Amino acid sequence: MIEVQDLTKRYGDVTAVDGISFTVPPGIVTGFLGPNGAGKSTTMRAILGLDRPTSGTATVNGRSFRDATAPLTELGAMLEAKAVDKGRSARNHLLAVAATIGVGRARVDEILEMVGLADVAKKNAGGFSLGMSQRLGIATALVGNPGVVMLDEPVNGLDPDGILWIRNLLKQLAVEGRTVFVSSHLMSEMELTAEHLIVIGRGRILADVSMEGFIAMSSQHRVIVDSPDASRLRDLLAGPGVTITSPEPSRLEIDGSTAPHVGEVAAAHGIVLHQLADIAPSLEEAFMELTADSVTFHGSISSDGAAA
Amino acid sequence: MSASTAVPSLGSVEGHPTTLLRVLRSEWIKIRTLRSTWITVAAIVLAILLFGVISAMVASGDISPQGGGPGAGRARALGPLATVLAGANLSVLIVAVMGSIAGAREFSTGMIRTSFSAVPKRLPVLWSKLIAFTAVVLPVVAISIVLVFFLGMRILDAGGAATVAWSDDGVARSVLGMAYYVVGLGIIGLAIGFLLRSTAASIGVVIGAVIFLPALASALLPSSWDEVLKYLPSNAATAFTGTNQVGTTLLTPGIGFLVFTAWIVLAVVGAALVLGRRDA
Repeated sequence: MIEVQDLTKRYGDVTAVDGISFTVPPGIVTGFLGPNGAGKSTTMRAILGLDRPTSGTATVNGRSFRDATAPLTELGAMLEAKAVDKGRSARNHLLAVAATIGVGRARVDEILEMVGLADVAKKNAGGFSLGMSQRLGIATALVGNPGVVMLDEPVNGLDPDGILWIRNLLKQLAVEGRTVFVSSHLMSEMELTAEHLIVIGRGRILADVSMEGFIAMSSQHRVIVDSPDASRLRDLLAGPGVTITSPEPSRLEIDGSTAPHVGEVAAAHGIVLHQLADIAPSLEEAFMELTADSVTFHGSISSDGAAA
Repeated sequence: MSASTAVPSLGSVEGHPTTLLRVLRSEWIKIRTLRSTWITVAAIVLAILLFGVISAMVASGDISPQGGGPGAGRARALGPLATVLAGANLSVLIVAVMGSIAGAREFSTGMIRTSFSAVPKRLPVLWSKLIAFTAVVLPVVAISIVLVFFLGMRILDAGGAATVAWSDDGVARSVLGMAYYVVGLGIIGLAIGFLLRSTAASIGVVIGAVIFLPALASALLPSSWDEVLKYLPSNAATAFTGTNQVGTTLLTPGIGFLVFTAWIVLAVVGAALVLGRRDA
């Protein structure tokens, strides 16, 4: 369990994280979404105790991570895949890390096998590709068999095989009852793995909802209909609260109605339909909509008040 | 749990509390598994022994630089102790650089964030790095310096040049003091590496400010400054290594030892204080 309370982090004049609060519960995969610069990594660094919060708290299993007796068994994290010493082999890197909790060779070899690095275990980690570094970072996070797993952009640089592997891994970790907290800017990826979403933009929480709830929040629910008689259908559907646009002569995009309603109206008037579809926005679209403001104003120098 | 998952189980390893001893073990693995550690150790041994022996051979007339130039005379003028410890003076630079790298390396690579994620209290990492570094460097430096003393004196003796004995007044103190100075500067380098978090910057500061600046200052500043300059690390060390810099005002060996030790403590305490407060 990760709990963040009123967390604020400023670097000089820049407020990276602005009074955020949320809880990451065990047993599910929680996605942490936001555009670049939204404050994801800063938040994770504060949870790890790498950055000292300007105010507020971040706790792991009810206490500050700095007070953990066997840190690697409580929280395993990967912030940057390249955070390894380039002059050391993958195996020696893991041996050094695992030694802090009194764990040795057998476990290190087991975890190397698990992440698929057994063949290159004795190679210099400095020569690893981004995908291999990513796997070594995940091995480092998991070597202590931690109850809480926190990964920053874990699918970065992985090939399709690797992405599938991560997806299954995250789900399994959650099934095993662990707390799984994963950041990403790849919405499509989150859609397939996360059950719960925390969306952050410009250092503030924009949404803290289940995946279904997040998609439903979007207003971009619409109906698409293709008909040779589109203009007549358009007149019949027009009404208060309904917006209709027509990207092509034979196509209508309708906001504020539903596919069954459109179908019934068309049938009642004998209008031929070639296609009728309810378009639920993808997570990608819902996310873009939600964070549009925070991205738009990202480059501005204006104060918070002026931007809002 | 379902039998068909593409991911093998995480296993059920049991971790133990993270104690200073376990962090020390971790740092020991780190220093031992870097090839550069052993290359540097070899360079230290080579510098101390080779240059000590060459210097002794020059002084005893076994070899004469540039066809019998002034080298022999100058070497003789330095005194037998300074002659055999010529290589030890060179090793100061190597060990200071090695210490700076040991301190700053992980900050440069980003590894420090992995280390601090495993040991979020951070201080045990600093202590363990200091202990592991000292455990590697101290025996190597001390044994090489003592070895080159006896080897060098034998060469000087065979060549009919003046020698000093281990039991002579202040000789053992100077020889062991030299080892202390070399290792101490390495520790100062390590602490400065933690403070500056950049290998290049820490090497610059340790070599420039700690080793060369005092010599430069004594050369350029009026002698009224000597009262201050003698407290600088390398000048304080010269008081107990007692091998060169004839004519500079120096502290007594005992005070010099205390002052140099105070510099080590200051650097380490500075690193420890900053470590807990800074974002990593």
